[in-house]
Amino acid sequence: MPLVNFSNVDFDQIKESIKDYLRANSNFTDYDFEGSNLSTIIDTLAYNTYITSYNTNMVTNEVFIDSATLRENVVSLARNVGYVPRSKTASVAKVSFVVNATGLLASTLTLKAGIVAVTSKRFINKAYTFCIPSDITVPINDSGEARFIDIDIYQGTFITQTFTVSSRNPNQRFILPNVGIDTDLLNVSVFNSEESTVSRKFAQFNSLFGVDGNSAVFFLQEAESERYELLFGDGLFGVKLQEPNYIKATYIVTDGADANNIEKFEYSGRLVDNNGKVVTGGVSFITTSVPSYGGEEIESVSSVKKYAPLIYATQNRAVTSSDYEALIPRIYSETQSVSAYGGEDLNPPAFGKVFISVKPQHGEYLSTTVKTNIKNELKKYSVTGILPEIVDLKYLYLEADSDVYYNTNLAPSPDYVSSIVRSNINSYSNSTQLNKFGARFKYSKYLRIVDDSNESITSNITNISMRRDMVPTLNTFAEYEICFGNRFYVSGTNYNIRSSGFRVSGISETVYLGDTPYGDMSKGYVVLFKLKSPTEPVVLKQNIGYVDYVKGEIKLNPINVISTSTKNGIVDVIQISATPFSNDVIGLQDLYLQLDMKNTTVNMVSDRISSGNDVSGSNYVVSSSHGSKSIVRGSVDINTTTEVEERSSIANRGLRSVVNTNNTTSSSSSSTTTTGTSYSY
Amino acid sequence: MPVERISKGFKDISATFQINPMNDDLIALKNENAIARSLRNLIFTVPGEKPFQPSIGSRVSQLLFESLDQITATQIKSEIDYTIKSFEPRVKLEEVKVTPDFDEGAFNCMIKYEIVGTSEIQELTFVLEPTR
Repeated sequence: MPLVNFSNVDFDQIKESIKDYLRANSNFTDYDFEGSNLSTIIDTLAYNTYITSYNTNMVTNEVFIDSATLRENVVSLARNVGYVPRSKTASVAKVSFVVNATGLLASTLTLKAGIVAVTSKRFINKAYTFCIPSDITVPINDSGEARFIDIDIYQGTFITQTFTVSSRNPNQRFILPNVGIDTDLLNVSVFNSEESTVSRKFAQFNSLFGVDGNSAVFFLQEAESERYELLFGDGLFGVKLQEPNYIKATYIVTDGADANNIEKFEYSGRLVDNNGKVVTGGVSFITTSVPSYGGEEIESVSSVKKYAPLIYATQNRAVTSSDYEALIPRIYSETQSVSAYGGEDLNPPAFGKVFISVKPQHGEYLSTTVKTNIKNELKKYSVTGILPEIVDLKYLYLEADSDVYYNTNLAPSPDYVSSIVRSNINSYSNSTQLNKFGARFKYSKYLRIVDDSNESITSNITNISMRRDMVPTLNTFAEYEICFGNRFYVSGTNYNIRSSGFRVSGISETVYLGDTPYGDMSKGYVVLFKLKSPTEPVVLKQNIGYVDYVKGEIKLNPINVISTSTKNGIVDVIQISATPFSNDVIGLQDLYLQLDMKNTTVNMVSDRISSGNDVSGSNYVVSSSHGSKSIVRGSVDINTTTEVEERSSIANRGLRSVVNTNNTTSSSSSSTTTTGTSYSY
Repeated sequence: MPVERISKGFKDISATFQINPMNDDLIALKNENAIARSLRNLIFTVPGEKPFQPSIGSRVSQLLFESLDQITATQIKSEIDYTIKSFEPRVKLEEVKVTPDFDEGAFNCMIKYEIVGTSEIQELTFVLEPTR
């Protein structure tokens, strides 16, 4: 029997292999008994083989970035392609306070670098400190006030670390000893010697572009255990340090995301006037204009493995859209997903622009400040003449309406099964399959998730609809275009689009949007109607826009919306939904798919056949695969008035052109009376 | 009805690793000697000593540092009993006797067992004393 190839890393299997070998090749017999001397020798051999196999396996794996698991090795491999993993990011808040300096004989006040404010103990009795990384000086105005307005304070502990350069130690390393440093807030100054009072500020660089022998630059790399090492020049690229140069590094050690969303602060800073006198009194309460945000954990190993090759591919330049997608997470660490596309892909094209949508990890939209910061950072990488535009996310909500058939004999209760189904759907809605740009809702997988939720479930009938939330500009005539990016299903027997209620100027009742297909059913008019009863619409206005069913677009001519029945938080919205042509829905370009759990329903239906209650199926409850929905969304506002005057204030400007284009003679910009009886498709 | 096991020959390697002058091979332990050595090994193995097999062994080594009295002797007896029955399938245990030797600060141990498949009763005696 040949000696087996010990490639596995399971001790028992190795031991068994050795026993097999002895069984065939030895006169000894006692290897099967754990008390024997031979067993001890086999244990030693197996353990030795196991350790060797394990080490070989680890060494082989840790050599490649794809298979490496230890952070130290992944970071080291990423360093080979010039990638510095993102550090922890300190949460930042914008605060203001005023100092009464009337009694001081000074012209300026300086808020010294270091702690500025503390929080009260909010979570698990933990208080957070907020600092500034460098001094802030403001003048004392005529009324004797020094106003610190909208200063950025960063969560964490302000730390100063010093090193003395020694030529006697050729392997000297400058490792910052703290874990949790925000490297963006790192300041490095170099003094000629420890006694020197004049320093030179060094800038952090990631590349050698523009660096010569006189450049005061330092480079940063992640060393062991999430600590950072400062690297200085060699005289060719960057100033070379010499003994007895004295390095002073100041930085903030932060708690990352834990300190987000704090808005109450107590002053705890250190103020000095221009005479060097410490000011202790006269400080007002701190007011917060922007609560703390943006705190993030250090970049994870999986993220480094993902982005290091991508960043290498971009070569630190934003040229293609995928370059932007690789660079944005590096610039803005709170990015959950990002989509970028060139303006030339748009219809109509917007040449010279790159449109970027970013989904943050917390919340739905980016603040204006963050957008500006990202745009400024992108300038370092983008091609001259190309303007990056950061656009707000456009959410395409999916709503699933499932009738779940279950065997009553196998289910403790319908509520029990329903809660499991909802829980599984919720997990799916939060999974990365959906929460990314370019995601696709896979109908068959969704059905399987529902079916596999519990053994009692025999089948399910699920209807999908997609929804966009239109945010109207109230009390203003405005055109609207709502893109779904997915073809609409045209039934021909009912309205294909449904909307929540809203009011427009000139009409006192709540109105809704509907549609009328024409021609080859690839397009249709948008109509405005009110409800006489929940199933009886009264069309008030024809042709207030058109629907392109194939492209999945709705265009509304100028319309003056004055209020809406639905709100998203405090924002007035008009919800518009349609049934997709294909049950697999994609998130096109900047559309971000979200499975809306609030509007996703799970109805439990007893499967009377499987349960044995109605084997012949005579009383089987049938669910429609095509949906049987109300013609409007949300609350139904019924008005029984039968005659309504069309108000000329609605869509007068755009109406005529639409009518002419579509050769429709039924309406014009002048007043016309329409009633519920005219509604027929 | 349980299957009756019949012992054949047993052959183990000697832990002394000395050479047999007769054949220039390693000294081998055979049959009852191999089993006696196995029993001693099991009793002196501390649980966790064998890699990835934490249950094999007995707590006897640990108990030797307890008070030298009859209670400890009973615990040692119980431990030996359990270990042999659990990990040495070649013997049928007849008797375990542990007596404290107050003069020497040790326990005298006698194990009487029958090798499965033979009717011969074997007796193994040794002294258990703590080594520091």
